[in-house]
Amino acid sequence: MPNSPQVNEGGKSLADMHPIAKVSVGQILGLVEAIDEVGGSADVATISQEVEMDIDRLGPIIDAAELLGFVKVSEGDLTITDLSRKVLHAGVRERKKIIRDIIDDVPIFKEVMAMARAAGRPLSRDEVLGAIAAQVGTHNAADLFNALVYWGRYTELVSYDSESEELTLRAPSP
Amino acid sequence: MTDGHPILEIDHVSRSYAENGKEFRVLEDISFQVHDRDFTCIVGPSGCGKSTLLREIVGLDRPTSGRILFDGEPVRAEDTRVSMVFQSFALFPWLTVTQNVQLGLEAHKVPEEERQSKAKKYIEAVGLAGFENAYPRELSGGMKQRVGIARALVMDPLLLCMDEPFSALDALTAQNLRDEILALWTNPDLPPSAVLMVTHSIDEAVYLADRVVALSARPGRIVKVEQIDLPRPRNRKEPEFYGWVDEIYSLIV
Ligand SMILES: Nc1ncnc2c1ncn2[C@@H]1O[C@H](COP(=O)(O)OP(=O)(O)OP(=O)(O)O)[C@@H](O)[C@H]1O
Ligand SMILES: [Mg+2]
Repeated sequence: MPNSPQVNEGGKSLADMHPIAKVSVGQILGLVEAIDEVGGSADVATISQEVEMDIDRLGPIIDAAELLGFVKVSEGDLTITDLSRKVLHAGVRERKKIIRDIIDDVPIFKEVMAMARAAGRPLSRDEVLGAIAAQVGTHNAADLFNALVYWGRYTELVSYDSESEELTLRAPSP
Repeated sequence: MTDGHPILEIDHVSRSYAENGKEFRVLEDISFQVHDRDFTCIVGPSGCGKSTLLREIVGLDRPTSGRILFDGEPVRAEDTRVSMVFQSFALFPWLTVTQNVQLGLEAHKVPEEERQSKAKKYIEAVGLAGFENAYPRELSGGMKQRVGIARALVMDPLLLCMDEPFSALDALTAQNLRDEILALWTNPDLPPSAVLMVTHSIDEAVYLADRVVALSARPGRIVKVEQIDLPRPRNRKEPEFYGWVDEIYSLIV
């Protein structure tokens, strides 16, 4: 195995970007804010009622928040972490930096970044899809590609042109 | 808050449409002021004329009678000191984020270099840095609305008008954006100075506003203008908070 998956306190790992593939930063922060508002800890049912979202839709957001280290889940109780308190009070740039440091460590993300660095030129969508498929199979490759583009853009590590279908490394603004 | 001078004056505004030869009254005798640095929300039941009122305020529609003055003069749609954010985002699908944000600047013949630097500044301010060359189809609803907000702010408005800007978004995304709008509004280095927002959610109005203008069912009349003096950040779980929600609720139903 080229990379060992990042393991957070809960012992779960963000080996690929699948758990964060269909979730946005705004939703994760919204969840953290909602838990914060009821005192920093609450059971899933309470939060679901609070934010008027059923468990089916809330589930992936909770998973993503947990894997990023923003929320601890134990026996149906959600508790926000120190990291998420930090994120809540951070400005746009600082918030981005915190999330960048997490995403930067996700093995599949690292791998594509290394591949682009080694190539020294923009990578085509197909090349990246191929690399992802080699790791996780073709089944989820397209979702993971979209996740990579979304989180890569958000952290400003990657830019993607959907017209030319080219992925480029970029330096985040200071 | 609310110590600013009035920047917008709605003076006995009524609006009616002709329908089968009969008069269809939508708004009736609306008068209130928006003060500089205030966050004002207009609430009222569906169909009571909230959107109509906001369209009149930004100069996209005219009252049947009464006047609307911005900074002492009748409002004009081309006045860049007032800008608008729409519920449906209203982005051009064939333009990138940067291009959508620059639209208003282009229309006002702002030089290329300034357009670029302003677009960059506001794309960053709304948390969209990294998505400059993305197309609307690649963005979530929350991010599309961020583009809508950046496009409005890039004109450096004194007053930002928003018509149910969060109602097409899921609850989590909406809450996150509410807090970001508050942060922009509180930031003295960034526009807008004042915000006027239409919502059908009393909860949202009490969370955001210094003043809530409550309208009756159609034809919309002002039932009351409430001054919400709760400290920020507000917590929906506190008795004072839902005391206000209950009070406004009882006024409009
Ligand atoms: N151009 C028009 N011609 C005729 N009637 C109109 C026109 N525009 C709006 N109306 C009517 O005016 C009334 C108020 O509409 P408006 O959209 O302002 O209400 P609203 O309070 O924004 O409602 P909602 O909460 O559903 O958004 C509605 O009955 C609508 O059908
Ligand atoms: Mg409306």
